[in-house]
Amino acid sequence: MTVPTGSSDTASRVAERIKLVEPWEVFAESIRRFEIHLNGREIELERGPISIEGYGIRLFRTKNGRTETGFQASTDLSEEGIRTVVGDAEAVSKHSDFPAKRVDLPSQAPRSSGDLEIVDHHLWERPSESLRDHVHALLAAFDGKRDVLPSFGSIRATLTDTSFANSAGLRYSYPQTSVDFEIAVKAFGGPEGKAPGEYWVNDSTRRLETSRVTVDVDQWCTYARDVRRAVPPPTGDLPVVLPPDLLSTILPSVIGYRFSGAARLRHFAPEPGSELGAPQLTIRDDGRFPWGVSSSPVDDEGVPHGRRTLLEHGKAKDLLYDVLSAGAFDESATGSALRGLTLGHRDWIRFSSPPGTGSTTLVVDSGDGGSDLELVESAKDGVWVQQLGWAIPDPLSGAFGGEIRIGYRIRNGKLAEPVRGGTMGGVVMAPPGSPSLLRGVAGIGSTATLSDALCSPTLLVRNLTVAGA
Amino acid sequence: MNDLRSSEADLKHALLRIEPQTPFAEVMAERTRGELLSLDARSVTPGAEPRLQGAVFRAWGGSRWVEAATSSLDAVALGVAVQSIQRELGHRTGPSKVPGESATTVGEWSTDSAHPMRSLGSEEVLKLARDVLGWATAVPGIRDARVQLGWADNERLYLNTAGARCYQNLNRVRGSVAPIAIENGKVEFDYLSEGGLGGREQLNFLTEARVHEIAGNAKELLHAKSPPTGTMTVLLDPGVAGLFAHESFGHGTEADQFVRDRSYLKPLVGQVVGPDYLTLVDNGAHPTGWGSIYYDDEGHPGQRTELIRKGQFVGALHDRETAAAMHTHATGNTRRADFLSRAFVRMTNTYVEPCDWSFEELVAEAKDGVILEHGTSGIEDPQGGQMQFKVKKGHRIEHGKVTDLVASMALSGSVLSFLRSIRGIGDKKGFEISPGYCGKGHSDLLTSGTGGAYLLSSAIVGPA
Repeated sequence: MTVPTGSSDTASRVAERIKLVEPWEVFAESIRRFEIHLNGREIELERGPISIEGYGIRLFRTKNGRTETGFQASTDLSEEGIRTVVGDAEAVSKHSDFPAKRVDLPSQAPRSSGDLEIVDHHLWERPSESLRDHVHALLAAFDGKRDVLPSFGSIRATLTDTSFANSAGLRYSYPQTSVDFEIAVKAFGGPEGKAPGEYWVNDSTRRLETSRVTVDVDQWCTYARDVRRAVPPPTGDLPVVLPPDLLSTILPSVIGYRFSGAARLRHFAPEPGSELGAPQLTIRDDGRFPWGVSSSPVDDEGVPHGRRTLLEHGKAKDLLYDVLSAGAFDESATGSALRGLTLGHRDWIRFSSPPGTGSTTLVVDSGDGGSDLELVESAKDGVWVQQLGWAIPDPLSGAFGGEIRIGYRIRNGKLAEPVRGGTMGGVVMAPPGSPSLLRGVAGIGSTATLSDALCSPTLLVRNLTVAGA
Repeated sequence: MNDLRSSEADLKHALLRIEPQTPFAEVMAERTRGELLSLDARSVTPGAEPRLQGAVFRAWGGSRWVEAATSSLDAVALGVAVQSIQRELGHRTGPSKVPGESATTVGEWSTDSAHPMRSLGSEEVLKLARDVLGWATAVPGIRDARVQLGWADNERLYLNTAGARCYQNLNRVRGSVAPIAIENGKVEFDYLSEGGLGGREQLNFLTEARVHEIAGNAKELLHAKSPPTGTMTVLLDPGVAGLFAHESFGHGTEADQFVRDRSYLKPLVGQVVGPDYLTLVDNGAHPTGWGSIYYDDEGHPGQRTELIRKGQFVGALHDRETAAAMHTHATGNTRRADFLSRAFVRMTNTYVEPCDWSFEELVAEAKDGVILEHGTSGIEDPQGGQMQFKVKKGHRIEHGKVTDLVASMALSGSVLSFLRSIRGIGDKKGFEISPGYCGKGHSDLLTSGTGGAYLLSSAIVGPA
């Protein structure tokens, strides 16, 4: 097996045709995508290769302490196509205005990406076959389960060569794989005549983890079956236990934005040292986290990724900067430029967007709360919320919430009947003196799990508002 | 960049190469351009919509479809995609009959506007954005606002081996403003957002008076009370009624969910599900709707389809396969998010048709409850028939009067119970189709319009 190295020269090819005095950058991607769509236990559709090669060009013009930027993207790699893109970028730059006093583009290629785990090598070498093998293993895990099947879903594997070139001399590329997984698991049948139940899984990872499939499917089937017998939750302000899967839909979009230079520019960012969370809570941003969906050697401007502490023992510490927001505050870019952010998720195509600022993998330090069952015991009387319908919060106000798709009542420190329906919500972070999820953390589990863009233990929060029966 | 039709000969040639190996093949080519201007008190970020182009081929492989896509329209790249399809077709065996009826539509449509955005000029767009920002920040306590004005031209050319040829150029325009209020570390905002097919006229809603009003609301939200929690009478504003129509009901009528036995609505076709003054439609032929299309991505014309007619659940949305499986006709709802995405049954503009209640009559009828205003998001539950959507704000209704402002809320409950509990639908005064983006599951976001009139019912309300 060969280990893929960044071999794309798309950005360099485009860069050769750029004749500009002002600073510029090219971010390019050469992508192959393969998809399998399911209908029940059957493969409904196979797609691929879906091939796309494209680039985005950004120009900078700094004068009088401010910076004009212009961006355009295209899939047209012809000389005329590149000329048109540069013309578009120049045209829009004339109307732009950003308070960056300087623009420091990275000039050095980072250390080798060889030690960074972001490529599924089997998938890279044999994409169609690897995907089919995985789907067959997934479907086989449903064998013998007469009351459960996957009713709707898809697995989409993306193989990307990302490349950079800029006027500071950077020429660099790296490979990465990603897998987007969506499956609705339906439980049905039985003599009681109850309506079918569904557990709907969405996940993004770097690799096909076929060895985990059987365990995962068993768990999903349990949730789907429990939906059928679930009752509405109670109403009130209650202790709530939130597992990593759920937290990954709540924390990154709020913390990633509010702890950014872009938020600081608009007075939304916390002051360093301000108390935002429970004293035992420490949260970091780690752009090199093993198998993190946003991990890579460099960010989307070519700045090396690293690790920053955002919240230390409940107090705000570092902020995240891209090149432009760093230039506005005389700070250094922290490797926090991200392209293609939509509704808190990263698109599989990033070259078509200029970068914004955000977190990569948020890492919540493990605590002394013990196992999940020990956290449940600490909650005494409350609710374990496994999944909300659409938790994604509002990054500005930090408000989050949604319908409880599946959860469990906690009675006398033990998991009791499943609950479904009603809502649970609150505010992720709030000014001193106001209640919030971060401030309400009363227990932190001892084992962290990676889920999408978050690695966290389960958290016990006291109290969040639940509206149910 | 030339018109997409300049690539037609190469696309036809590519299709002809596939034809000998399959009873049916099609290609959809796409090209986009446009501009998007973002402005706030600290920065101006004009952008250009990416110049993306490409084509996706689909062919019947005997037992299922095979697809390949490429981001170049030159003959070589199209040839590579064709070879990939041919390779897959070579491995396939099984029944050769293609499911459903192949479209044979031939036609061309482009959005008609007296003031197309592409000829407006960046300076004029920037001037409007600066005016809007100025109106918002003129309100005491509002130091910043986020203004976005954009337009996108989307060209699509569809060809198939049954003879269909559909060319369309859809011009979508959208504007929004979100005044932001900050006080003692607390951040709040409210927003205005509208858009649709057309030109500059789609931005006429951005008036000084409306922006002032929304900026005042943002400020008030800093001190808004917490929303009530529990089951109660709810009055949805027209935008939120549209979210209900789309997320809670519309997704369950996408007939691929019927075929895969994943819709709670499947056993209810023909049954009465709501009051006789309730009509809910999907309308891809709306002349200015954000989600309108002239042709779908199987070559069927966009059309108006009644889903609930006078309280009775009468129809579903179909592509060729679901229509065949359910012995009916395609409804012009086969859509790809772009040339990189698969075709699915999707909605276009989904809305509750207005009735004849005034807003005041609905508030009086409610007596006590809450108004849900300015929807922000929602998600479907086609299997379970539950609903969830979130709103930015609302007002309490007490003793038949509108009282306190309340902060963001989520609404939940059974869709069928909600329909059965409808007690009134507003008149056309507040009717609107709002612009939005819809996913099928969590993927494949595409343009989708939602709308309606004020809708009075009951549901579970909680914080969000």
